[in-house]
Amino acid sequence: MYLGLEARPRDRAAVIDDQGLSISFGELCSFMSEMKNFARSGAVVFCLCENSAGAIAGYLSFMDNGTVPLLLSAAIDRTQLAVLKQTYTPPYMWLPERCLGEFPECRAVFRRYGYVLAETGHRFYPVNKDLAMLLCTSGSTGSPKLVRHKLTNLETSARYVSEFFGACEDDRPMADLPMYYTMGLSVINSYLYRGATVVASSKSLMSPEFWDFYDSQDITVFTGVPYSYEILRRLRFTAKEWPHLKILTQGGGKLKEKIYLEFAEYAQRTGKKFIATYGQTECSARMAYLPPEYAVSKQGSIGKAIPGGELSIIDDKRDFIEGPGEGEMCYCGPNVTMGYAENRKELLKGDEWYGFRHTGDIARRDEDGFYFITGRKSRFLKLFGVRVGLDDCEKIIYSKLGADCACAGDDREMRIYVTRPDLSEAIVSLLSDTTGILRTSFRVVVIDRLPRSGAGKILYSQLPV
Amino acid sequence: MGENLRKYNEVFMNIFGAAESELNESFTFESVHKWDSLAHMALISRLEDIFDVMFETEDVLHYGSYLNGIKILERYGVDMKA
Repeated sequence: MYLGLEARPRDRAAVIDDQGLSISFGELCSFMSEMKNFARSGAVVFCLCENSAGAIAGYLSFMDNGTVPLLLSAAIDRTQLAVLKQTYTPPYMWLPERCLGEFPECRAVFRRYGYVLAETGHRFYPVNKDLAMLLCTSGSTGSPKLVRHKLTNLETSARYVSEFFGACEDDRPMADLPMYYTMGLSVINSYLYRGATVVASSKSLMSPEFWDFYDSQDITVFTGVPYSYEILRRLRFTAKEWPHLKILTQGGGKLKEKIYLEFAEYAQRTGKKFIATYGQTECSARMAYLPPEYAVSKQGSIGKAIPGGELSIIDDKRDFIEGPGEGEMCYCGPNVTMGYAENRKELLKGDEWYGFRHTGDIARRDEDGFYFITGRKSRFLKLFGVRVGLDDCEKIIYSKLGADCACAGDDREMRIYVTRPDLSEAIVSLLSDTTGILRTSFRVVVIDRLPRSGAGKILYSQLPV
Repeated sequence: MGENLRKYNEVFMNIFGAAESELNESFTFESVHKWDSLAHMALISRLEDIFDVMFETEDVLHYGSYLNGIKILERYGVDMKA
């Protein structure tokens, strides 16, 4: 079975959620077998996920059954969902029961754990035999570009990640990051792989309900993106001992130095591990980690490749750089996915990356072989850990407001350069509404004209900061 | 309207894109779709900066609404009528 779930003690809890559901490994395995009667192998299924036992159990069954899930947020913008449905015409959906009414074309065929498997009326179509799972590259701009995973990507990733985290049966990791987000899924996979009990919640880290639940669950591992840690800091997390907690781990971008040090020192003081990691959806989440003993001495580093993987840097001529240096970071390993898909036909494609990936990130490697991310080649930002494509945003503004603009910025804010001052408010509202990201992350800069090359391309380097 | 209340309203208008007329007893965490954890973080940070206060954990978690926020700030010694 997927992740070796059948080998776990049958009566041990596999998943516990904040709605009071608890599923044992034995029950989970029976459920996974039962689902085979309803969902056809090789068919695409849209999973509208919240972090709950039902969503997780459904995902695991599909993986086991060869049905190909695309994991989406249950709260996904319905226009974006419609575009995805039109593009990929999934024969099935796995969705919270309460959402079923929104999709009159759907016919429920199986219900369990507050979720329902529904047939959409779309016809079955073939996909590549190695295709196992799909995730969005960007949950925010509604681009239908997906990352194509094979089963071995996820299973080897689960094995290696659980290895360097030292995951064991007694662990109780908090699944607080959304499961449709690669790192959130990685927590679930890598701990279930070792027979641990995954504790899932969809509640906001800023809500009292989340912390009431957290307090009751003897959590041993907490995983967050930079903004999770900003919240923890604000909630004075480090003022408490948290005796059960063994590991605090972070990914999804760089933490501010002050916050990083606060948590690294807290971990040191209280005998816990603080582990910074680096990863991408394209490589099934984690690719590098900083061993906790280096958390302070190599602060700001993403560490070295995870077991089974290899990092390298290349120069402009695409030659490997030996020793200390700076260049585009590349990764080689069994967790590198098969490639992208932008439409249904591309789900037929096989592995296009052959285990090697240009990350698009610029990194420096020091004399001890530790990597530090210093910049980015690709045109996207990570606002609050959410990847936002700059070209996508330019297109959205052009199509909705009819204005040429240039989007640039850093992971703190996006700057939108326009020539029309009257559009400032409309642009901020449009981008915030489309991406679901805070208004204050977008700043409109009005300039006289957009700097362009002779060929008409925007010269981003000439934009004022 | 006092200077502090004006500043307080501005923070809400800025973060939520709300009109000043919407800022009343029905502007709550539950009813405002955009009031997610990110917005909440931004709100708390901004208010702490502007009013030079440090909220207790309980107050951060139970901030809850536009009106309750005014009460909390007054408890921290901010005169919302000034």
